[in-house]
Amino acid sequence: MNNNPPVRVRVKFAKHGDLRFTGHLDLQRLFERALRRSGLPLRFSQGFNPKVRLSLASALPLGFSSEAELLDFWLDEQVDIPLIKQNLDLALPNDISVRQIELVSNQLPSLQSSLIASEYRVSFFPEGEPQKVAEKLSNLLDQENILFTRRTKTVNYKNLILAANWLKTPQGLDLLLRMKSTPDANGRPDELLRLLGLTPGSYQVCRTALIFSPEEMREDG
Amino acid sequence: MSDQGKSTIDSKLEKILFSVEKPGRYVGGEHNQVRKSWESVETRVALVFPDIYDLGQPNLGLAILYDILNQQPDILAERAYSPWMDMEALLRENQLPLFSLESKTPLNKFDILGFTLPYEQIYTNVLNILNLSGIPLLAEERTAEHPLIIAGGQACYNPEPMADFLDAFAIGEGEEMILEIARAFQKWKRSQAPRTDLLKILAEIPGVYVPSLYEVTYSSEGTISGVFSRIPGAPLPVQKRILSVLPPATTRFLVPNVETVHDRISVEIMRGCTRGCRFCHAGMVNRPVRERNSDEILTAVQEGLDATGYEQVGLLSLSSSDHTRILGIIQGVYDQFKDKRVQVNLPSLRIASFSVDLMDELKELRPGGGFTLAPEAATERMRAIINKPLDEEVILETARTIFEHGWLSLKLYFMIGLPQETMEDVQAILDLARKIKNIGKVVKGNRVRIHLGIATFIPKPHTPFQWYSIEDSRSLQSKIDLLKDGTRKSDIKMTYNPPDSTLLESWLSRGDRRLGAVILQAWKNGAKMDAWTERFDVNAWLEAFAACGIDPDFYTKRQRGLDEILPWDHISIGVSKRFLMTDLRLSQAGKTREDCRKNCFNCGILDAFGSLKPSDEEIYWGCP
Repeated sequence: MNNNPPVRVRVKFAKHGDLRFTGHLDLQRLFERALRRSGLPLRFSQGFNPKVRLSLASALPLGFSSEAELLDFWLDEQVDIPLIKQNLDLALPNDISVRQIELVSNQLPSLQSSLIASEYRVSFFPEGEPQKVAEKLSNLLDQENILFTRRTKTVNYKNLILAANWLKTPQGLDLLLRMKSTPDANGRPDELLRLLGLTPGSYQVCRTALIFSPEEMREDG
Repeated sequence: MSDQGKSTIDSKLEKILFSVEKPGRYVGGEHNQVRKSWESVETRVALVFPDIYDLGQPNLGLAILYDILNQQPDILAERAYSPWMDMEALLRENQLPLFSLESKTPLNKFDILGFTLPYEQIYTNVLNILNLSGIPLLAEERTAEHPLIIAGGQACYNPEPMADFLDAFAIGEGEEMILEIARAFQKWKRSQAPRTDLLKILAEIPGVYVPSLYEVTYSSEGTISGVFSRIPGAPLPVQKRILSVLPPATTRFLVPNVETVHDRISVEIMRGCTRGCRFCHAGMVNRPVRERNSDEILTAVQEGLDATGYEQVGLLSLSSSDHTRILGIIQGVYDQFKDKRVQVNLPSLRIASFSVDLMDELKELRPGGGFTLAPEAATERMRAIINKPLDEEVILETARTIFEHGWLSLKLYFMIGLPQETMEDVQAILDLARKIKNIGKVVKGNRVRIHLGIATFIPKPHTPFQWYSIEDSRSLQSKIDLLKDGTRKSDIKMTYNPPDSTLLESWLSRGDRRLGAVILQAWKNGAKMDAWTERFDVNAWLEAFAACGIDPDFYTKRQRGLDEILPWDHISIGVSKRFLMTDLRLSQAGKTREDCRKNCFNCGILDAFGSLKPSDEEIYWGCP
């Protein structure tokens, strides 16, 4: 067993294409196997059934693409960042693109526990009728409570939506959303859109940012 | 429906994927998937597993054929599976044909569709897939514009029930046949000859059975009176194909992006089995025994793990502990992988303390969980009948060793409904399970768990029991009730098949080609996904039998005469009918035959395939 302190590697990656249809647990398995294929000196968890040590910042709902996912994994020894990148690029499927790699301190809290919010961009197919959605959304936001029943519990989107803006694009109107993303308060654009009467398949969602500190929110307003 | 191009599928598919359960089943893109440009090859094959992706993706047979075909520069192979109900409904609603995962091409655009048929409950799914692809179900209705529809796999040793729907069957081991079929197809296509010519060319390939080139006649009692080939080129019988030496193991396995039933690599360490259990279809049809040598196995495991990143490997065979070098293989696997956090599955171990030693050699590489033993029957009389001779003392001793080595959970497999079985034999299952539980208690205390897996015996073609009728449902139910009651009282877990749930397999596995009409009607009645217990609708089938004027009991509740022509008699597995009859008589006299690698009983395999036996002593064949 290696007694050196583990080297913590943080990977920012995009997830798109057909891999949108691979869910969170499957994505974890996918990374575990890709890391094994990469030949990097991985740190394994202790115990009877050792696993590759890795941790994803936040579960991305099935069907969403993302430009901003984060993964931490641990190595037994220091490896040059360009070499890590090269090995990961070879081992990962095309629908995952590594955007950035850095080595971070083991002292930092876990990604999951420090995430506070996520930003999303929703684009609509013609039948999604973004103009109407915009109207309905502004009415909805005026209400005192915006309740959604998630399985057995009720969540209030009034507290989960931090910002909602519209962006004109050559294709039409995109909705930019910022929502809370903490373990006990997590907003999902697909749920909000369901409240507005949209069916899955009439729009697409891309996560554009993960936010870990209030400062980040103020920066880009 | 048939004229839809690829682009239409992609944009419509995109939308419906948001509405289905587990959409990752339908998009492909796995690591090691092979993508070739459609235009760059002469021949395009779709390999189809007619059940959902989760079950079909890990299939080793299709992985091997995918690998072999895609190694050919002028051929591409893609994959397709049955869509689950929700996806099927949306495909139909949007008028989308079923498509391949790699290029999302509609199946009717391929040159060849190759189905694997590992078991009978999958037959209606074949019809459903053809229908979803806009391809006529009946072979006789297809023209040169349609793909060639072929099948292979373990159920094809009795191809007759599916004879109406398939153009050709590949009987036996497909590694060489698949290329011969593809080459013959290419030659035919270049010649622009009619489709009937293609069938004639295919029939000349050893192991290929083209059902439409044979005529079956029936007696007034409904039994078969004769099977005739319609043209000189269609052989009688059609002999299965084997490979004299196991081909190099496939190692570039696809790594699915969504969970499947077996997320691991599989390396076949041995083909065939010399034990001669009389109920066992696999043991009869896969003869002779051929081993893969140790070095090749270790190299294949290493390459497979490197290519996939998997953390689990299954070493597959019908009887792992019978490989002549198994101890060395296991020690080699341990030495090579002890630092890599790899798990090694070693299924199909025979009941002997040697098997426990083997699992012990794997040390920390063996998966957590229980140990499995399959005595199949609980009295020595019954075990002699099925030719699985074992002293009860050996079973108990093996169980004791298992507990002593630290296992707390033991799974025991038995069959009910076996020939000449009495209530006493069933009661003995309970008694044996209780004895084993008590041994566990003495060794390990109250933490010991016993799990009883009860299967219903179904007589299979090409086995010494192929003439037997099945036990009726009421009698089976009373045996199940006895076991349920007894296990509940003894705190033993039990799983079993309700009697009705095995009827379909019973009807189809020994069916003749008249059942094609029943399969078609059952599918029209809504039968599909019949292997899914909760989906299986016995009434859809009973109504189909009635509509076709066919009595289902004819296939199951009738002791067949030894002189009767059986529907699969013109398919030769190399084992002679005379041998099976002798074995049946021995069974009825309560006599066993020992493992035939020590003493050849002249089953016919060496007559059929002896000329292929390698002279090289390093390439092990089980036949002496």
